Amino acid sequence: MTEPLLKTELCGLHMDSLIVLLSGCVGFGEEYTRVEGFSNRDVGAICLKGTTGSLRPGNAPHRIYETPAGMLNAIGLQNPGVDAVVDNILPTLDFSETRFIANVSGSTLEEYIEVTRRFDDSPIDAIEINISCPNVKEGGVAFGNDPAMSARVVEACRGVTDKPLITKLSPNQTDIAANAKGCIEAGTDGFSVINTLMGMAIDIESRKPVIGNNQGGLSGPAIKPVALLKVHQVYQVCREHNIPIIGQGGINSARDAIEFLLAGASAVGVGTALFYDPLICPKINAGIANYMRQHGFASVSDMTGCLQLNG
Amino acid sequence: MHKSYREPIKLEQASVISQHHFDGEQHILRLHSPRCAQAAKAGQFVHLTVGPELALRRPISIMLADARQGYIDLLYKVVGSGTRILSQRRPGDSISLLGPVGKPFSVSQGTRLPLLIGGGVGMPPMIFLAHELRQHKQLQPFVILGSEVAFPFDLEPSQHLVDGLPDGVIACMPLLQQWGIPSRLASRQGFAGCHDGFVTDLARNWLDTLTADSLKQVELFSCGPEPMLQAVAQLAADYDLPCQLSLEEYMACAVGGCAGCTVAVTSQQQTRMQRVCVDGPVFAARQIYPDLFTTRQVNQ
Ligand SMILES: Cc1cc2nc3c(=O)[nH]c(=O)nc-3n(C[C@H](O)[C@H](O)[C@H](O)COP(=O)(O)OP(=O)(O)OC[C@H]3O[C@@H](n4cnc5c(N)ncnc54)[C@H](O)[C@@H]3O)c2cc1C
Ligand SMILES: Cc1cc2nc3c(=O)[nH]c(=O)nc-3n(C[C@H](O)[C@H](O)[C@H](O)COP(=O)(O)O)c2cc1C
Ligand code: FES
Repeated sequence: MTEPLLKTELCGLHMDSLIVLLSGCVGFGEEYTRVEGFSNRDVGAICLKGTTGSLRPGNAPHRIYETPAGMLNAIGLQNPGVDAVVDNILPTLDFSETRFIANVSGSTLEEYIEVTRRFDDSPIDAIEINISCPNVKEGGVAFGNDPAMSARVVEACRGVTDKPLITKLSPNQTDIAANAKGCIEAGTDGFSVINTLMGMAIDIESRKPVIGNNQGGLSGPAIKPVALLKVHQVYQVCREHNIPIIGQGGINSARDAIEFLLAGASAVGVGTALFYDPLICPKINAGIANYMRQHGFASVSDMTGCLQLNG
Repeated sequence: MHKSYREPIKLEQASVISQHHFDGEQHILRLHSPRCAQAAKAGQFVHLTVGPELALRRPISIMLADARQGYIDLLYKVVGSGTRILSQRRPGDSISLLGPVGKPFSVSQGTRLPLLIGGGVGMPPMIFLAHELRQHKQLQPFVILGSEVAFPFDLEPSQHLVDGLPDGVIACMPLLQQWGIPSRLASRQGFAGCHDGFVTDLARNWLDTLTADSLKQVELFSCGPEPMLQAVAQLAADYDLPCQLSLEEYMACAVGGCAGCTVAVTSQQQTRMQRVCVDGPVFAARQIYPDLFTTRQVNQ
């Protein structure tokens, strides 16, 4: 059980902790439960692996590679397709443990709509629209980097679900705040900021990119400063509309998490750091609770956007 | 449908008991990790934090696990920064260990003559498997090991006769000999008593001496570099033998969460990407190299 102090609400979801486990890092919510001492109850929500209309085999190896203070991945949205997720996987999840959030992807607008509609008719707690996946040829970041297209995807998905809708924004774009604004107008209930940055690693012996897909998404501590600034920028638009942000990108400690809250996040995402330490979440929970007690914060939401800019 | 292995994975702070260094930048690391040692089975691996300098863990096979004394042994070769940092760990140092991970080898019903083939740093799972097989009196394993750098043990003449092998191929691994398990070695580096060629040459020599009935009781188990695994799979196809291979792929989580470590696995004419960490690392050869096996069927 987590500290009562860490209970929070995000897009109407009641969460026991402000930590959200990030899409693509924790499979479909049960994989990490094999690790002794790990509990889904230690986190407020879990984003399931990116899901598409039909099965996707994903990219050729190698799919991951460690880089300075981070890693590249190009999984290519491997997933069994939305029907298999809804029919076979969701029934096996224990919804009393935590909140489960679907992560929706597609190559076309129609696919985003179809997958969202299917999840709407399921016990899933919320839907995250991934318009920022850098590892697929169509859709994904190609949509997310185009503000008009981003808004169209959000609007279309909004049209087929009443569940909380969270839009996952890409850092690989010129004006993330303008994009966020369009998505708010299109009906998003919240944001995930940020998805991975695009990157490459090269093997100088073979003179080839290490990653099978040639390029991949950079995650981990290396991207934290970029993510913090993006959260700060998106928060400037979200503040007036009361739209929450799940801040993410390289969070590896309570201190990192607190930085994101101060920058404007209402909850924090942990992905890559789980690969380093599968039991990191209880430590982050404890560290945040400590900080709150030391600094007299009565609730998580009191910390959101407390950043004081230099004059 | 293929089921991934579902036993619990432990996270423990292991302490270095000893680290021995061998030619060719090979190292044998003994870790005090009682909970992992208790649960470990041949074919499984551990996912280690090599040091504070690198955050992502590195997968290394378990070579031996002593549940009573609470240690595991690993044999690894320095190939990059992670394994280099690991090689600098000293007795008393603490290492975060996630394990045991992965689906272990499992001997099929009807197998009486397991043939274990290990190459380079693919030797460790074969040594662990040999250790497990010696508990089963009805099994008569034979182990063939290959290396292109000096073997990380002293060679000694084998006291076990093995049919069909070229003259002079008499060197074996002392530990296996101690366990009463025959072994032979291959290398193209001209080491005394070793076969000057491939591990699969020795395997063919031996398989050719078996009767049809005995051949039906052979099962191949192998771990090593990719070209060697392919040659072993070819052997399995040629002699129509069941064959289990232990594979490697780059890993992030090692618990099945990231789908970073997948390989193409074909069963019932369907190819799927499966995770080496929890769906493997042990896979049936015919699922990894389906083409080798279909060609055979066409020829028949
Ligand atoms: C299940 C399994 C068991 C293994 N058992 C052993 C063993 O018993 N002994 C041994 O010496 N080696 C073993 N390996 C290979 C070992 O994991 C790599 O040699 C090691 O990760 C290289 O790390 P590095 O930082 O030194 O190399 P770098 O090349 O600098 O590594 C960069 C990245 O690539 C990954 N990587 C590079 N080569 C491999 C590889 N062959 N397999 C997986 N990841 C790789 C690293 O983990 C790291 O994330 C095993 C691999 C797997 C998957
Ligand atoms: C292996 C891996 C797979 C990922 N898969 C997805 C995905 O399917 N959908 C998605 O929206 N984000 C995906 N992401 C991005 C993460 O959810 C997260 O936004 C990003 O990694 C930044 O957080 P981190 O630095 O804490 O990992 C993936 C990240 C990694 C490392
Ligand atoms: S390493 Fe993450 S699924 Fe295998």
